[in-house]
Amino acid sequence: MGDMKPMGRLRSVGGRTSRSTEPVDEAAILAGILSRAGRGDQAAFGELYDATSALVHGIVLKVVRDPSQAEEITQEVFVEIWRLAPRYESDRGSVKSWIATIAHRRAVDRVRSEQSHRNRTEVVGRLVERDHDSVSEVVLDRLDRTRVIAALDLLTDDQRAAVELAYFGGHTYREVAVLLGAAEGTVKGRIRDGLIKLRDHLGVNQ
Amino acid sequence: MTEDLHHLAAAYALNALDEIERREFEAHYPTCAVCSAEVADYRETAGLLAASVATPPPADLKARLMGEIADTRQIASIVPERVVDLAERKRRNQPRQRVLALAAAAVVAAVGFVGGLQFTRSGNDVDVLVAADAITLPLAGDAGRARVVWSAEEDRAVLIAAGLDDPGEGNAYELWLIDSDGANPTGLFTPDVDGSVTIELPLDGREPAAWGITIEPDTGSDQPSEPILLIGETV
Repeated sequence: MGDMKPMGRLRSVGGRTSRSTEPVDEAAILAGILSRAGRGDQAAFGELYDATSALVHGIVLKVVRDPSQAEEITQEVFVEIWRLAPRYESDRGSVKSWIATIAHRRAVDRVRSEQSHRNRTEVVGRLVERDHDSVSEVVLDRLDRTRVIAALDLLTDDQRAAVELAYFGGHTYREVAVLLGAAEGTVKGRIRDGLIKLRDHLGVNQ
Repeated sequence: MTEDLHHLAAAYALNALDEIERREFEAHYPTCAVCSAEVADYRETAGLLAASVATPPPADLKARLMGEIADTRQIASIVPERVVDLAERKRRNQPRQRVLALAAAAVVAAVGFVGGLQFTRSGNDVDVLVAADAITLPLAGDAGRARVVWSAEEDRAVLIAAGLDDPGEGNAYELWLIDSDGANPTGLFTPDVDGSVTIELPLDGREPAAWGITIEPDTGSDQPSEPILLIGETV
């Protein structure tokens, strides 16, 4: 429960529409670093890597699960970020979400092209378990982690399973429907309702 | 189908659409203010999910990566820095959704381009239009409609536009070729009374990453002024 304290404080200070001043500053700093990287500044890119490599590697590893593949994809993702850096537009989202989108997409492309459906469905049981302890400890992202875990707890089991199988499992919502034995439209709705709940609770409100 | 598409934003943001639906949704959402805003929000949410499982990569990865990017070329930016600054300033003065839709529309060049433009089969421009390597790019935005056709072989480009308003006394439209050096002024023009225009211009060996159109003083400008009325990006 000690983990929950920053969450409570954050909510009382920041409310729904802002996330305390710290992450806002972090977002602006990251946008500045990415902008310099986008003009060919390799040192800035090194800073960007230091700030976001755990984010990229974490989600890639979560989706592909194989450590050596995850490392390879993480490298590919950062090469892609370097290449695309000149095109990042800050009014279309934060640096972190832009980077997470690229990383997740690349990981999903890999599992959908390489792994057989059967291989991946074997781990369904594990994925839908609520094993908070398996979530890695990273000091820098601890606040995010705490907030997200608290927010995930607000979802119904069905919503949570659908969101986690889709995002962490790298499955399409149609695959999720098969895995859960539910109708496609139902799963689509659970993903949507679950994300809305997460969005609202996490203060993502632009 | 359209109603269905509106409900795909969440699954799209989680990369949970299959290939066909993804393409359909990507053709739709930049033109839809509601979906654009939802995608942006859901992507932020997904980013937080990703952050919640953050795990540092092996320490030696950074050195390998830095070696690789030293040999990797970056792509040209869509718009030069000054235009990004202008877009930023403009954003602060406008409701977010509109800007989102515009920014997205600028990226998806095929959006909202209605037919009805006629190629002018007179003069030299026909050489460009029929060149084997001709590239045709529609420009999207909130002023008229336009299309640029260019050929590296012919080293020339043709702009065909219609539905353009009178730029106003002392003003002209300016076409910008955007490449790795930024935005290059490529031609000043005023449309005919019916709002249409066809002009031909030299490429001077440049490789366009994007084309844009603005209104400038009729003496021309070194850099585009806000707003960018029409823009199209090469893939």
